[in-house]
Amino acid sequence: MDHRLAFHNVTPHHHKYHRKADLDSFEFTYKAEITSVYRLTEHENLYRIRIMDSEDRRHFSFRPGQFIMLEIPGVGEAPFSISSSPSNHEDIELCIRTAGNLTGVLSRAQRGMRVGIRGPFGTSFPMEHMHGGNILLIAGGLGLAPLRSPIAHVQEHRSQFDHVDIIYGAREPAQLLFKFQYEMWKKDDINLHVIVEKPDPAWTGDVGLITKVLESIIKGRDSTFIDNTYAIVCGPPVMFKFVCAMLAERGIPMQKMFVSLERRMHCGMGKCCRCNVGSTYTCLSGPVFDYWSVLNLKEAI
Amino acid sequence: MLFRIAEKTELKALFDMLAEKNTVVGPVQTDTDRKGKPLFAFEQITDQGKLRLDYTTTRLLAKRYFLPFREDLATFTVNGGDWTKDIDYHIDRPYVFFGLHACDINALNKLDKVLMGNVYPMPYYVAKRMNMFIIGIDCRPQPFCFCRSMGADTVLHGFDLFLTDIGDKYFIEVLSAGAYGIIKDLRTETPKESDHLQYMRTVAEKNKLFTARVDTTDLTKILDMEFQSPVWKQWGDKCLGCGTCANVCPTCYCYGVEETVDVGLQKARKTKSLYSCNIVDFAEVAGGHNFRPERSSRLKYRYYHKHRGFVEAYEESLCVGCGRCGEACLAGITVPEVIASVRGEEQ
Amino acid sequence: MNAKTPITRTYLGIPVPRPKVAFFELSSCEGCQLQLVNNEATLLDFLSLVDVRTFREAMTEKLDDYAIAFVEGSVTRADEVDRLKKIRGTAAVLVAFGSCACFGGVNQLKNRFKDPAWVKKEVYGSHPIETNDTARPLEDFVKVDLQIFGCPVKKEEVEKIVTNVVLGKSIVQPKYPVCMECKANENTCLFDLGEPCLGPITRGGCDSWCPNSRFGCWGCRGPTVDANVEQMREIMNKYGFSEETMLDRLECFGGFAGHAAEMRKTVRRGGPAWPPE
Repeated sequence: MDHRLAFHNVTPHHHKYHRKADLDSFEFTYKAEITSVYRLTEHENLYRIRIMDSEDRRHFSFRPGQFIMLEIPGVGEAPFSISSSPSNHEDIELCIRTAGNLTGVLSRAQRGMRVGIRGPFGTSFPMEHMHGGNILLIAGGLGLAPLRSPIAHVQEHRSQFDHVDIIYGAREPAQLLFKFQYEMWKKDDINLHVIVEKPDPAWTGDVGLITKVLESIIKGRDSTFIDNTYAIVCGPPVMFKFVCAMLAERGIPMQKMFVSLERRMHCGMGKCCRCNVGSTYTCLSGPVFDYWSVLNLKEAI
Repeated sequence: MLFRIAEKTELKALFDMLAEKNTVVGPVQTDTDRKGKPLFAFEQITDQGKLRLDYTTTRLLAKRYFLPFREDLATFTVNGGDWTKDIDYHIDRPYVFFGLHACDINALNKLDKVLMGNVYPMPYYVAKRMNMFIIGIDCRPQPFCFCRSMGADTVLHGFDLFLTDIGDKYFIEVLSAGAYGIIKDLRTETPKESDHLQYMRTVAEKNKLFTARVDTTDLTKILDMEFQSPVWKQWGDKCLGCGTCANVCPTCYCYGVEETVDVGLQKARKTKSLYSCNIVDFAEVAGGHNFRPERSSRLKYRYYHKHRGFVEAYEESLCVGCGRCGEACLAGITVPEVIASVRGEEQ
Repeated sequence: MNAKTPITRTYLGIPVPRPKVAFFELSSCEGCQLQLVNNEATLLDFLSLVDVRTFREAMTEKLDDYAIAFVEGSVTRADEVDRLKKIRGTAAVLVAFGSCACFGGVNQLKNRFKDPAWVKKEVYGSHPIETNDTARPLEDFVKVDLQIFGCPVKKEEVEKIVTNVVLGKSIVQPKYPVCMECKANENTCLFDLGEPCLGPITRGGCDSWCPNSRFGCWGCRGPTVDANVEQMREIMNKYGFSEETMLDRLECFGGFAGHAAEMRKTVRRGGPAWPPE
């Protein structure tokens, strides 16, 4: 009578394709190379990262609003919204503020450094649903980082949208991100409105909070415009709270406004619970939520 | 489900049969508390004499065998500018769990929903869970047990064998084919109608012994209504924020990941450590902002996750009513009291 | 340990400096420095990470060019203040190494006596000795850049911190209390065994060193972030421990000095009065 129990051997092995249900996808990392580091402001860099395996690179795809987990072995891993166009299969662009451990080391990274990326994870902005409508792309501060991917979608599908406005508020002119793109956006028939809280002597644009410029924009629009308008709002909670309230007041339904929430994540896959808002996983149910859902999340604002 | 009856003397045969070629984990007495009461824990055993199937509860579940407090998710070998990532799920054999109570098996079933579902299953858990051979044992409700309120006093699946002491015999539920392969080498009989009746009487007697209870009626809604209730502040003032409730909880799975470089700079590791939502930096982000700086908001979040969020996702609570958190809490914060206070009931 | 060999190392392409470090001791047992030397398995790796210029426990050579100074011990004599200021003048980074340097440590126990002359007489008799009235942490005299807690420090933690320093990683002290590691180590709670313990309010990171040996925590690493000392006091009472039992522990290493002083104001008397008036 040998009652030795059978051992179910679950050993890690690498598949070429990674599905959510595969056990091995949990800790699977694409090895990627930093191809350029572009300094945007004193505290923010734009990192271009390329998945090294050419086949993996071709298969890697994401939707605007999704994030990846970026890892420097031994240093740490953290979530970052993808800032580039989903149609670019060469490089992934990440706009990252130097704020902590991982980003501190990253800011000293040289071109050619090999990092790990996992993902993409999370929900995305439903861009195709917005086709045929007007779109308000509203960002406060670093919120322009997650907004740049939907902006790229709009640029590439410009004929699918009616009026397009980018409304961007920053604390001071020196903190403005992606300045080199403003002219390009305008050429793509996008109305760009930039406002800063603290101007410097060279500043000639609007001064004040983002709601100031937003108010003047939506005031002048008629109800036909409002009925056919979507909004994507990215920024700190205090900013999107006031912006969304203003848009709701003007008559845009809450389920047509989308926000992206920022939380610390340790896994990105609905396990570690660090990103939970109330009892909702930001990594699985978010980071993109419609505003109605956000209002129903305890602790969100 | 197949039912069998066995004389109590067969227990040793069952144990020896399994222990001969396998690693067995079971409840043993590890200490005596300051009041002279025995304290139990799950440990590896080779001698059936050490097995204490009459144990009341254990402070910790056998978590280290399926959800270790610390585990390397990956190790890296760093070579110049390049690195390789090695992954190990840290399991090399099956384990027999001899004598888990219904609450603890239910807890595993709940963990399975999060960690073994089809959205990013966690292989470190799955690989260990697939190698658990579980023998359940019935229990005697303790003053802190409210498993009946949580629907976790009986267990329907997630085990191989379940033994119920019905006086002079064990009533045995045989759930898995593997368990049947073992049972057939024991001296067992098909239960008679009188055995069925004896089983039912035993369960009915057990049910009378419950004293602690939690009213879960409309609890998800009530938790939403009472989000701003002052009772959270009162419990927060008592809470030590020490994380013990999570560490003794059979269903707590939240964790943190830290990466470290060995002092020689050649190796690095990515280590997962179970964490507790009551610890001050649980919801702190890189810039330093803390989404739950107060103890009360963290304690409240814990109740939200267990009794609201999980219910929303899986239509059941993430609490099995084992009462370990209340027993281990030095401040004496218990689930029945917290929920009663949120419901505005007299304590 | 050839200090002259320039070591140019990189980690994933990032240059890793090999900082010049020195170890110093003020009033202390040098037990923290001994911890490092004890770690034979990783000592060589540690020494290739940093360029040790002065380390009395391990070498005779003494060089006074260093970027990082690890200072063990508390300040209990006037000449130590001068030494400390000189070290501060040289070091770019000054590390308070161990609980004496961080909080005053066991030495600061003398601070709770109201009459220093009486203490001096009780301890040293007629033997002439120069000592300040109080034992003080480094930060009372100079700017401290980094604290490494513990009595003694935990060598694994020191290695981790030093590795993080050279790699340019953030130094993050544990914000969880000793209980977290104690539970992970599957210890029986000392309160269950009838022993007092400051684990619930003391900063972790020691891997529950004392409770692992069934020895209740004395709080050597100081209070954890958001320590609920008031509730700890209630719990000590509930478990039948006197206020003095709790105060003895709070006052032992100096990390809880503020909490202890606050508690002294409302102490519920029981047992012999302490300290003697």
